[in-house]
Amino acid sequence: MIEKWRTRLKGFVLALLVTTLSGSLIQTQFNLAAIAALGAEISLTTRLTTSVHDLLGFAPLYAGLVAAVLAAALPLAALVRRWLALPAGLLYPLAAALGLWLALLVVDALAPMPTLIAATRSLSGTLAMLGGAALGGLVYACCRAGRTS
Amino acid sequence: MKRMSLWLAAPLLAGLAHADYRLETVVEGLEHPWSLAFLPDGGMLVTERPGRLRLVDADGELREAPVAGVPEVFAEAQAGLFEVMLAPDFADSGLLYLSYAYGDLNANNTCLGRARFNGEGLSAGEVLFCASPAKRGASHYGGRMALLPDETLVLTLGDGFDHREQAQNAGNHLGSLVRLTLDGGVPDDNPFLGDDSARPELYSIGHRNVQGIVYDDQRDELLINEHGPRGGDELNRIQPGANYGWPLTSHGVDYTGARITPFRELPAFTPPLLHWTPSIAPSGMALYRGDAFPDWQGDLFVSALAGQQVRRLLREQGRVVEQQVLFEELGARIRDVRVGPDGYLYLLTDHAEGALIRVVPAS
Repeated sequence: MIEKWRTRLKGFVLALLVTTLSGSLIQTQFNLAAIAALGAEISLTTRLTTSVHDLLGFAPLYAGLVAAVLAAALPLAALVRRWLALPAGLLYPLAAALGLWLALLVVDALAPMPTLIAATRSLSGTLAMLGGAALGGLVYACCRAGRTS
Repeated sequence: MKRMSLWLAAPLLAGLAHADYRLETVVEGLEHPWSLAFLPDGGMLVTERPGRLRLVDADGELREAPVAGVPEVFAEAQAGLFEVMLAPDFADSGLLYLSYAYGDLNANNTCLGRARFNGEGLSAGEVLFCASPAKRGASHYGGRMALLPDETLVLTLGDGFDHREQAQNAGNHLGSLVRLTLDGGVPDDNPFLGDDSARPELYSIGHRNVQGIVYDDQRDELLINEHGPRGGDELNRIQPGANYGWPLTSHGVDYTGARITPFRELPAFTPPLLHWTPSIAPSGMALYRGDAFPDWQGDLFVSALAGQQVRRLLREQGRVVEQQVLFEELGARIRDVRVGPDGYLYLLTDHAEGALIRVVPAS
């Protein structure tokens, strides 16, 4: 029993890390793309330093949001698996991505500004961020599979 | 560039030398008051953001009924009725200008209207200008106005928050200042006139959300303040046709902590005279000319929302050399600061139960 929960916790932490870090890196590239589209030259050094800045400045806040999303979405997905014979590698990524999408909708509805995370102003940016969450969900699924195999 | 950044942030607080003033509450119970104008008879007109224009008579009494005839405004979050400004010939014509948000949550922006005030209500209202395109959301409208000595007016606008990149697009009005004739036309010497890809009303571009504007007639300077994101609030000297860089340059970061841009300054863009990092959220701005506070002659006063204060800016040769924090004891978000014809400062506090406050010499 303890081992089961340990595996879940490890999976959760890894999913949180993957979703947060990938999301931070993704949103940085979208923001830089917007700046580059205005004619600015973005060197590799600038890209790297900006990415690192956002890992320090953006990722902690984003981690809070992602933690709340995963804490709700992953157990819910596990519950759904009892009735729906869907592969874990599909269900957990889907749950994480849908959870993040819902969270973004809620945050944008509650926050004073129209869109809190600038990268999610566009469909492509939103899908990319959801892709990061799906990757986190996949990591969680792999961790669980690793325990049961 | 590093040296420049330090210089921009350097003129810091004297802070200790509190002027010998007293704060008097003139009127209470104003709902998010936004702007005021002094009438020739000693009264005042005050806008309330939900869409009301209120009259304070020469005795300082607030007329209970709002002034009738105000255009319908889109009131939501930062949107609503913004500034009231009297026409230069108001004493004869009764004309005044109002800036406000039009539209709805899905399609809105800033408009400029003109109407005739007869002491009781507004009539003959007309829309002179509406910023386009209409955008979604209820953030970043600008909405301040200033008269220039050549009988034109400048209206400040915002980038609509989600549309920040459009502040670099001269093909629309987002994130810009526009200059208009007093009838709402395009002056024939506007800087973007003749550029087919640009809106002819534009006066400058590359702004985020311009919340204060002052024309200094003695220095022939047009100055504005604008909100940065988290940090990077700016004081800018406006040159016709100039680009102030937003969102390519900023001293601030996004509210999430993410970098909006890696560049604080770039050679192509006019840098700010001063930036406030961390933000104070500047709102109104006034230039002091009056007899009540001789030490303040020629100084700029910038009210602040998040900062809950007024900054007095002392200038020398076009540079801000010192700042003084004032009126923190109010503990209030301050939406506007004005200099009255009596030489006193007037403040509007930004609350659901906001107040009009007069600053007078203590003695």
